[in-house]
Amino acid sequence: MKAAALARREQITEADFLKFRDFFYRKTGIHFDENKRYFVDKRLLDRIEATGADDFRAYFIALRFESKGEELQRLVNAMTVNETYFFREAYQFDCMVNDMLGEVAKRKAPGSRIRIWSIPSSTGEEPYSIAIYLLERWPLINQYDVEIMSSDIDTTVLQSAQRGIYSARAVGQLPKDYLHKYFDQRSDNEFAISRDLVAAVEYSRVNLTDAADTRKFRDIDLIFCRNLLIYFDDLSRRIAAEAMYDAMVPGGFICLGHAESMSRITPLFSVRRFADAMVYQKPMSGVRP
Amino acid sequence: MTHHILVIDDATTVRMYHRKMLSDAGWQVEEAVNGIEALEKVMGQPHDKPFDLYVVDINMPKMDGYSFVRELRRLPQVAQAPVLMVSTESQLQDATAARDAGANGYLVKPAKPNELVLTAALLLGDAGVAHRVAGQTAGQTAAGARA
Amino acid sequence: MGLRKTHTPDARRAVIDREHPRDLDGLLDQLRCGDVKQRRWAARDLARHPQATAALGAQLLRETEPSVREALLTSLQAMPGDSAVSALLPLLRSENAQLRNGAIEALAGMPLAVAPRVAALLHDNDADVRIFSVNLLGELRHAQVVPWLLQVLHDEPEVNVVAAAIEVLAEVGEPGHTGALRAARDRFADDAFIAFAANMAIKRIDAP
Repeated sequence: MKAAALARREQITEADFLKFRDFFYRKTGIHFDENKRYFVDKRLLDRIEATGADDFRAYFIALRFESKGEELQRLVNAMTVNETYFFREAYQFDCMVNDMLGEVAKRKAPGSRIRIWSIPSSTGEEPYSIAIYLLERWPLINQYDVEIMSSDIDTTVLQSAQRGIYSARAVGQLPKDYLHKYFDQRSDNEFAISRDLVAAVEYSRVNLTDAADTRKFRDIDLIFCRNLLIYFDDLSRRIAAEAMYDAMVPGGFICLGHAESMSRITPLFSVRRFADAMVYQKPMSGVRP
Repeated sequence: MTHHILVIDDATTVRMYHRKMLSDAGWQVEEAVNGIEALEKVMGQPHDKPFDLYVVDINMPKMDGYSFVRELRRLPQVAQAPVLMVSTESQLQDATAARDAGANGYLVKPAKPNELVLTAALLLGDAGVAHRVAGQTAGQTAAGARA
Repeated sequence: MGLRKTHTPDARRAVIDREHPRDLDGLLDQLRCGDVKQRRWAARDLARHPQATAALGAQLLRETEPSVREALLTSLQAMPGDSAVSALLPLLRSENAQLRNGAIEALAGMPLAVAPRVAALLHDNDADVRIFSVNLLGELRHAQVVPWLLQVLHDEPEVNVVAAAIEVLAEVGEPGHTGALRAARDRFADDAFIAFAANMAIKRIDAP
């Protein structure tokens, strides 16, 4: 290792790392092993510099005691990778078509409505991934009316989703036959999604912490709320979880991001393990024992 | 093949302490901060044998020890796994509640080093460790399992 | 069948289409007398009524449904202040872990309102309440947290309360506090856990 890099790395001591690690694990459930030192140290040093702290100790005191707790949100942002693309964390979509929708459908008469909520839907990769999965991989798609509701707090990303133009990177995980079937390639780096899919999704601007926005959503069978709550402060996370709980039918499912856990948020949901994924479920009777 | 133990407590220091005692005895230890995270760890394990022993604090946020044990006993693959509950002396009134919730043993915290290991060894059926620890604590009273 | 856009708004009912009055009196009535779902919605909607904190606290003392309890706690947490603190403090004595820990979480979010009550909490007759109060300090963003902890290390007779304080100090302590940690370790010289915890804390805070 070069001398300069070595010197930088030594600025985060082992004791510093352990203190950070215990705090971060307690707050988020994310655990960093020793082999993640380079990843963690680099980002800690970035935040130390960005906040103007003298050293790790000063930074940590500010992080721990700052009244609004905003630095923690920025730190979580720095420590997690958040990019969106088609079929991201697809094991949850597998779980949807292999298990979750099966349970949902068992409780409904054929021909009835199934509601799926994607929030935050960002630039549309998630709700369109859901749509493709349903059309291609759910055997019962023609027996139910499935509504996909696609919400985000940011209207620019909603507009982008409705425009439906994606980069090669965004579509990179799609099987080639799906890419050809649902996208029209406009140029090397522009793929336009089928207008039928755009038309099949319902868009809305929603702030998950605003009851006036969320109370409009009822009888939802399945929610994808991935890589959002981890960036919220404690109170906002609770408010958002409560809102989603009430938006769901008893027995409905919710999927968080792979590094997220209800264990840091709320006891309202049960943990369910399926072959493809671990998800959360609103208890059937609405009452936990 | 060594035994696999899940230590569940919201206090970092307590988890570290229990981890040290149990891993010094030769067992593998994992941790969780509350009942929900513990259930996630259990469900994330290979299906046939998640953990051999659960050491569970009673007072934890989000899901306490009792709720965790009740949920645990609903999972078919862990219905018989031994559970050791841990609590402060002042909550000792809950010894009956611990048994009713499905625990196999109860310890007052902070546990003395040999007390935790010996109780765990008895619950795990690990005669080797039990023998070694009992030999070390000759002259002291071994707490054993308080059911 | 297949993918269907919502043509009718019934999945997104308009805000005006409400079954019960949502003014303060109506909500308080729902809170006390409604079924589970009504009580939950009332608890959530009362988050915009600061005058309702006492009623939310009173309902927490009698509510048995966990999902309603969660909504009550969240709403109190959303209205930080003296009144919310008064509503939450009694829960530290509850037999129920959900209520105790839920109260701690909510109180942790209102450091300025909680601060005047901390001294009394740390001297409560009930050792459990003192433990939970130290747990609260572990989450509290307030400049007095360290002085409060040092006081506990010095004066507190009950070993589990001291243990809880050492736990927090391992995170927020500074090199100048190692003396206090050693003194606490000496005070409980027979206790292997205190020794372990104090040594761990000293290592954590005594970085060069």
